[in-house]
Amino acid sequence: MWRVGARLLVVEDDDGIRSSLSLALQDEGYDVVATSSAEDALDALRGAPMDLMLVDLMLGGMDGFTFIRTVRPTSDAPIIVLSARADTHDIVAALEAGADDYVTKPFELKEVTARLRALRRRGGRPPEPEQAQDLVVLDSESHLVLDAGAGRVRKGDGDVHLTVTEFRLLRELASPAGRVLSRQSLLASVWDRGFFGDERIVDVHVRRLRTKIEPDAGQPRLVVTVRGLGYRLDTR
Amino acid sequence: MTRRRIAPWPLGLRAKVTVSFAAGALVLSALLAVGTYLVARDYLVEQRADTALGQGFADASFVREGLRTAGTSVSDALGNVSPPRDTVVFVRRSDEWFSSSLTQGRDDVPVALREQVRSGAAGLVWTSTQDGPGLAVGVPVPAVEAEFYEVVATPDLQRTLDTLLTVLAVFAVLTTLAGALLGRWAARRVLAPLDVVAGAAARIAGGELQTRLPSTEDPELVTIIGSFNTMVDALQERIERDARFTADVSHELRSPLTTLTTSVAVLQTRRESLPERSQAALDLVSVELGRFRSALDDLLELGRLDAGAAGQVRSRVDARDLVRNALQVSGRSANLLTGQSPERLVVDVDKQQMNRALVNLFDNADRHGDGLVAVSVLGNGGWVLVNVDDAGSGVPPDERTRIFERFVRGGSRGSRPGTGLGLSLVAETLRAHDGLVRCVEVPSGGARFVVRLPRAGEEGS
Repeated sequence: MWRVGARLLVVEDDDGIRSSLSLALQDEGYDVVATSSAEDALDALRGAPMDLMLVDLMLGGMDGFTFIRTVRPTSDAPIIVLSARADTHDIVAALEAGADDYVTKPFELKEVTARLRALRRRGGRPPEPEQAQDLVVLDSESHLVLDAGAGRVRKGDGDVHLTVTEFRLLRELASPAGRVLSRQSLLASVWDRGFFGDERIVDVHVRRLRTKIEPDAGQPRLVVTVRGLGYRLDTR
Repeated sequence: MTRRRIAPWPLGLRAKVTVSFAAGALVLSALLAVGTYLVARDYLVEQRADTALGQGFADASFVREGLRTAGTSVSDALGNVSPPRDTVVFVRRSDEWFSSSLTQGRDDVPVALREQVRSGAAGLVWTSTQDGPGLAVGVPVPAVEAEFYEVVATPDLQRTLDTLLTVLAVFAVLTTLAGALLGRWAARRVLAPLDVVAGAAARIAGGELQTRLPSTEDPELVTIIGSFNTMVDALQERIERDARFTADVSHELRSPLTTLTTSVAVLQTRRESLPERSQAALDLVSVELGRFRSALDDLLELGRLDAGAAGQVRSRVDARDLVRNALQVSGRSANLLTGQSPERLVVDVDKQQMNRALVNLFDNADRHGDGLVAVSVLGNGGWVLVNVDDAGSGVPPDERTRIFERFVRGGSRGSRPGTGLGLSLVAETLRAHDGLVRCVEVPSGGARFVVRLPRAGEEGS
């Protein structure tokens, strides 16, 4: 079970959905903060950090995309997008802005709770004790080190800022490195998605990860694409 | 007993034009041939008669000169005349007949001509000779009290006329054929725009609503092309308006439906604390909301298909994995998937859309076909086939195409009719994937829905 009292921010301008989601997620044990606009949500975030966020894309005022881009530099909490459409562009744009997963309306509560649970599970810090000693040198040239125990990636003396989900994706690829992992298996292990999960989630996250850890994201040498099969982490 | 009348074979427009042209050519060429023949014959006959008459006078004067010479017998005079071939010369003198031929006598000279000559006038009549039709020329020779006759057979004239007739007939036949060919060509040329219209109409019926006829300079065609394109414009606008309306309505319904399902989920967690009657009511609401959600999902999916947003997110999967997972997520047993083949049957599909299509087929089998019996996946050349068999009594042949149309609902056995969208969603999803779905019959009597998808190679992202 997840920790009771995880702080969950709900940003949804439809009163019915916001109220019913708040009721249902409080039942699930979350400490829900519900706001009807991105501006209010930013205020709430200034008050206290959140563990998880549910964000509608179509909001009056600031839209969901802008909200995610505004929040991302300071928060690595998983963000699940409530998308009005299953359209290709909206979902990819939201993922690229920094969202971790999505649910399309009309959704059922169990879809939302499953997504929340998947991203919350093993995602929070500090990590489980048995992983405390893991240190993986990803790139000896740029001194890039995955410190699974501390739940962070170090580059030289500083930290590389990864979201919770990006970190889990990297950890999955790195244990051990050199294996080819299919999009399906990454979807299952990181997002807890089944056969019909959207493989673009993996692709966008790999892209995001590359821009943060690769010396040249256009010519990836750490997280490489294996055509027709999936992705592989090559340590150097 | 009345005999059934056999309907005449309906003649196509092309055939009609061809036949008309051929008939016209035949009439014209026949008239021309007959006219030509008659004029030519008159001319030839007249010329022949003139020649024969001239020859007759010349020979007659020759005989007269011969007989004037005292002591010359008629036979001698005749002997001096050297008539051309086919010509027999007769001389009558004092009721005595002389002939240049041994086999022909006075009876070969027509009686009418003899009477005319006897009355003192030269004459010419058509007659028949031993060698076919001929001319008889008679000239009175009063100076020697004799009558001179020549009978000329005219086989050459007959031959010329026969040849002329043959040539004209052959030309008439050739002209008729040429007329038919011309008609065929003209019909094709005239009907070519019609073929274009028919092709465009077929494409539009097939869903390509952007199809228009190219504009033309031809004043005859401007009207029909203009009307056609206007009609398609109106049709497209109407279809798009309907689709937009459906899309708008279904979009509007998403938020309240989400609120309803979420609220009902909250109630469901407290189900045990509710009175029995409230529990029953809650269960009813839950079930109906499920149906509502399913129908709305179909509508939204159709809206996306209409907007051309189908099959954009493709991945390569084994069709059997697809079927197995579709069975599982819809709460069915994966054992319904039968038939094992060692080869991989990879298809390149939008998994979620294909899942929805397959689940709709399974639901259809349960709802209208007395239950899903088996699903089998097999390769067939460049195709992968998914057969979905049910236990019902099959679909009547005349309904097998119609059931894939939007809002067509089959006779339902249960009390829960479908939305009439499920199968049309299946058909349109497959169309967007360059595949198709058909309904056929299986020997057991049930219906089989065959899904056909293009087989993809193993390579690719």
